[in-house]
Amino acid sequence: MKLVILKNNLREGLTAIDRAAGEHANLPILKNVLVKTADNKIRLSATNLEIAASRSVSGKIVEEGSITVPLATLLTIVNNTASERITLETDQNTLFFKTDNYEATIQGLPEEEFPIIPKIENKKEYLSFSADVLRDAVLKILSTIQVSEIRPEIGGMLFDFEITYLKFAGTDSFRLAEKTITETNFTSTFTRGFKVIVPLKTMQEVLRIMVKGEVTIFIDPNQILFQGEDTEIISRLIEGTYPEYDAITPKSFETEMTIEREHLMNAVKLVSTFSGKVNEIKMKLHDGKKVLEVYSMNQALGENKYLVPVKAKGESFETAFNWRYVMEGLKNFESAEVFFGVNGSHRAALLKNPSDASYFYIVMPINMN
Amino acid sequence: MEFEQLWQTALGEIETQVSKPNFATWLKNSKLLDKQEGVVLVGLPNTFAKEWVENKYQKIILNALRNQDQATKKVQFTVHNTNIAPTPLPQRKPKQVSEEEFKKQLAFEELKIDPETNLNPRYRLSSFVVGKTNELAYAAASAVIDEIGRKYNPLFFYGGTGLGKTHLIQAIGNEIKVRYKDKVRVKYVSSEKFTNDVIYGIRNKRMEDMKDKYRNVDVLIIDDIQFIGGKTTTEEEFFHTFNALYENNKQIIISSDRPPKFIPTLEDRLRSRFEGGMIADISYPDYELRLAILKTKLQERGAALPENIVEFIANKIQKNLRELEGVLNRILFYQYAKKEVTLKMVEEIVSGVLQQPTKNINPNQVIKAVADYYEISQNDLTGRCRQKSIVEPRQITMYLLRDILGLSYPDIGQKLGKRDHTTAIYATNKISEEINKDQDLNQKILAIKDLVYKE
Repeated sequence: MKLVILKNNLREGLTAIDRAAGEHANLPILKNVLVKTADNKIRLSATNLEIAASRSVSGKIVEEGSITVPLATLLTIVNNTASERITLETDQNTLFFKTDNYEATIQGLPEEEFPIIPKIENKKEYLSFSADVLRDAVLKILSTIQVSEIRPEIGGMLFDFEITYLKFAGTDSFRLAEKTITETNFTSTFTRGFKVIVPLKTMQEVLRIMVKGEVTIFIDPNQILFQGEDTEIISRLIEGTYPEYDAITPKSFETEMTIEREHLMNAVKLVSTFSGKVNEIKMKLHDGKKVLEVYSMNQALGENKYLVPVKAKGESFETAFNWRYVMEGLKNFESAEVFFGVNGSHRAALLKNPSDASYFYIVMPINMN
Repeated sequence: MEFEQLWQTALGEIETQVSKPNFATWLKNSKLLDKQEGVVLVGLPNTFAKEWVENKYQKIILNALRNQDQATKKVQFTVHNTNIAPTPLPQRKPKQVSEEEFKKQLAFEELKIDPETNLNPRYRLSSFVVGKTNELAYAAASAVIDEIGRKYNPLFFYGGTGLGKTHLIQAIGNEIKVRYKDKVRVKYVSSEKFTNDVIYGIRNKRMEDMKDKYRNVDVLIIDDIQFIGGKTTTEEEFFHTFNALYENNKQIIISSDRPPKFIPTLEDRLRSRFEGGMIADISYPDYELRLAILKTKLQERGAALPENIVEFIANKIQKNLRELEGVLNRILFYQYAKKEVTLKMVEEIVSGVLQQPTKNINPNQVIKAVADYYEISQNDLTGRCRQKSIVEPRQITMYLLRDILGLSYPDIGQKLGKRDHTTAIYATNKISEEINKDQDLNQKILAIKDLVYKE
């Protein structure tokens, strides 16, 4: 194999797939990147056997071929080299890296020893949308997901597809977020719905790499493929059934409030200064119902309270929340105002945009007793 | 077991031809799943392993299998998740979250519900307290767990709200899961959920999915079946599901707040099927059972209360175990807040629970409900007729006016055709007595009460 490639192209390609490379006691080759010529492009691939990422970059192909070399080593060299043009050449299992004034010989392994990256058999059915739509939805969900060893099925993001809409959901059992995309925002050839759970790490990679153009999704019983213009991520799916979270979603509220979002964020942030180990802040709505009191106290430090003007109806309440959870929820909106529905001190509260029903964020309170 | 042995022997041979790391990476969690007419199906833990083994080791594996059995012609591979958690990747360590941070954070309890079966693991058979009034139901439940689908099918439980129906039927599901591991597929569903699934299936043209979901189980548990009455399509769908399961000797367990013959809008064909199995009632717990339940609940929470207080609660709250638990929760809350638990305070809590405001119910509504139930006119009730078919409804009306609204006897007499207050006293006493002996009468009165509250 012999290639001439621009430094920036190679660097971007390697950085994109970097996190898919893995450590494996029995299989050190997983640390390597597979460099291979295909269809007049240079294809870079890495995998840890859970997820595989590939990116095609352009360059001049003098001679076809392939090799695998340690990704970290190659990336360090590329990052630090000053020249624009890089020549890569192989001789058996050795890669020669050359610029005008620099030369390195890297020990590699043949492609035959690199894992074969699985393919999706059913390519007839797909779902595609713009990377922006996907990105926006994933960003609003991801912060609620935590990998759990006891409950593997909530350690990923739910894709619940139903022909006319696609729902994303995530939860760590303390809060839950759901985003719905309607059919105007995607094209699909699926003739029936599906529900799959995609591992958190895969979604993080999708978010990091799939930044522009269109993203197309293909699904097998065990795996999912995200295909972008020059990038592919294939990942296993999480086995199991996602919990029926409909029962959790509050349908009515004892107290309904509309609050200026920036103002509430400010209050939460400021008041959290005095919150304790549990991250608790109290929210209290007095009978007058014109202001929401956000309050926290720390026996060693002191206490503080912030009054936020609200439009409220319903019961007065006093409820404690983990301020981080409230904050993370508030950050997921762009609207000037948020709707905040509370059901006393022991049941879930809900945040949503008053004029957009496609997204909501539910959070459980902290027990004050 | 035979497959297991065959595969182990084959693996022994394969191991000598593949490098050690490769063997450990690709073949460690493999399994021989099936062997038919010389075709062997091997399950591998993920798609990467499948691709690799299929492409690189097919020959070696086929040869190894042939050495065991000459007739082996072909080997195929599939992804078979053995439920082994994937090897955790050496990721950046998640930031240390202290135990303390989560001690008080409330979580979504519903997420603990098993999504496969819909059962809440909280309901155990061992925590179901058995007494005279529910021993038949308990015995039937135990029999069904021992002999799924053969002994009593369908098994139909009925009883008022808060007497433990849901606890018992979910406990049966949980017990079956524990006893038979994954060999028996259990599904628990409320009739509301079932209805929603039917609607969803129709709307999205996915009835097949819905059928698969409910017909591919060994034990189907349906809660609160009375709500299905009058919903024609749902009843129809349930009828077919019922038949499909019943004919294949699958167990069906049903609960309701009244026996099948008193579910007013239920189709006859369903009713007769429900009555074809075993019907067990759970009636109001007697004093001893209430006491036993209270003590069990206290034990579960690791709390203790003075004997006279426990006895007082058991004595006062007679009709609803959920209320019993509610009262207990409140008392324990006071105890937790370091306030002294006195009999006087408990009396206040109990009377607060018992005196639930009757929301805007007027005597005319009660009279109308009785008249509607018996399909007689309101004038008959207030009139002078003394036929038996009118007298009983009239007495029930008097009883209900007293029971629901607490009207005075002279008032009751006045409302029902200017009768004497002694007539009202006699009727009320008579019905209160018979209600305890006559289950039919009890059910009628519950149904009428439903009508009253529904208005």
